Amino acid sequence: MSYPANTAAAQGLALCHVCGHLDKVELHECTRCGGGLHLRKTDSLQRTLALLVTAVILYIPANILPIMNTVQLGKGEPATILGGVVLLISMGSYPIAGVIFIASVMVPVAKLMALFYLTWNGFRREPASAMQCTKIYRLTELVGKWSMVDVFVVAILVALIQLTGLLVILPGPAAVAFAGVVVATILAAHAFDPRLIWDRLKEDND
Amino acid sequence: MRDTASQTHTACEECDLLIAVPAVAEGERAECPRCGHTLTQKPRQGFERSLSFALAACIFFAMSLSFPFLTLANGGIENVMTLLEASVAIWREQDPVLAVIVFVAIIALPIALIGTIIALVTPLVLNKQVSWLPRAGKLMFFLNDWAMVEVFVIGVIVSLVKIAKLATVILGLSFWAYILFAICLTASLSGLDRLQVWKAIDAATP
Repeated sequence: MSYPANTAAAQGLALCHVCGHLDKVELHECTRCGGGLHLRKTDSLQRTLALLVTAVILYIPANILPIMNTVQLGKGEPATILGGVVLLISMGSYPIAGVIFIASVMVPVAKLMALFYLTWNGFRREPASAMQCTKIYRLTELVGKWSMVDVFVVAILVALIQLTGLLVILPGPAAVAFAGVVVATILAAHAFDPRLIWDRLKEDND
Repeated sequence: MRDTASQTHTACEECDLLIAVPAVAEGERAECPRCGHTLTQKPRQGFERSLSFALAACIFFAMSLSFPFLTLANGGIENVMTLLEASVAIWREQDPVLAVIVFVAIIALPIALIGTIIALVTPLVLNKQVSWLPRAGKLMFFLNDWAMVEVFVIGVIVSLVKIAKLATVILGLSFWAYILFAICLTASLSGLDRLQVWKAIDAATP
């Protein structure tokens, strides 16, 4: 594989994965912090793809199973993520319904699609605009954590309501699955190497 | 033994363009000329500001662990919830994985992060030569990826709205302390740019 002449990789130089120091790649270890040196992230596309598939698989129970179970007077009322959004809308809490819908439904789906798109472009010989792909990549990095909101909501409601007696809220199996989706997509975004897209550019297009 | 190119040059993290290390004055920011990625920035009095916000965050965090977080009042029954209880209650409901995820994201990692920032920045501000700076630097940037303090704050607000119809919720001292902690932590991190921090670590490591 040859790299475009204006890149560090073409000179045999790589940024340390840990501290970002530029070093000769043949040293294998960063002279500043001892971190690993690779021209590009190891098996970037394969790892990203594997983590994305994991996230997609976890996304199914995360949406089908209840995220929490409200037990009132001995009667259980399980609610899924989407069910929770519908309930909030019926309560008239539109802004909060919006926050949960964006954080729990739109962001994870958009993030999965974006990362699949980036990975696909990484495999293609002539990818779409590198600038556009880089912008998409930045977005996926930025929104990473925010999908955890719903998991924290469950945690708080369980803790807050447990002792009132009449009403008990129990965490549902979807909560763990959903946390898994978030962690897998964060790891997938970390594993993806945006430089791969730039490597495919012909130099005269720069 | 470092060769010259790795001293004078750096590469863009996102597109691998090889560039001379940009000289930035206080208050300035340097972008990659090809993809626009922020290569480095130097906030005014960055390290001093980081340290003072980190110390303030430390105090607010201690406060948020010691007082009631939220109190639920429902027909004469009062349930006081502490910050720790958000994960302890889930543990009690037989969901240890979720309990650990919540504990790590909102309590363990933030404490570790604050501690690491203080351990790292104090010697930098005082111009002391310390041997463990590279290790602290590595740890800080890793922890920063996984602490979810600001996401938890949004989660709390969403829970409050969800519960408002069921019972009266009293916001505890710990709740306000945690919000101030989140603000101080974010402010502290904003003064720490990767390139600048590692440059300072280089200069301060014996």
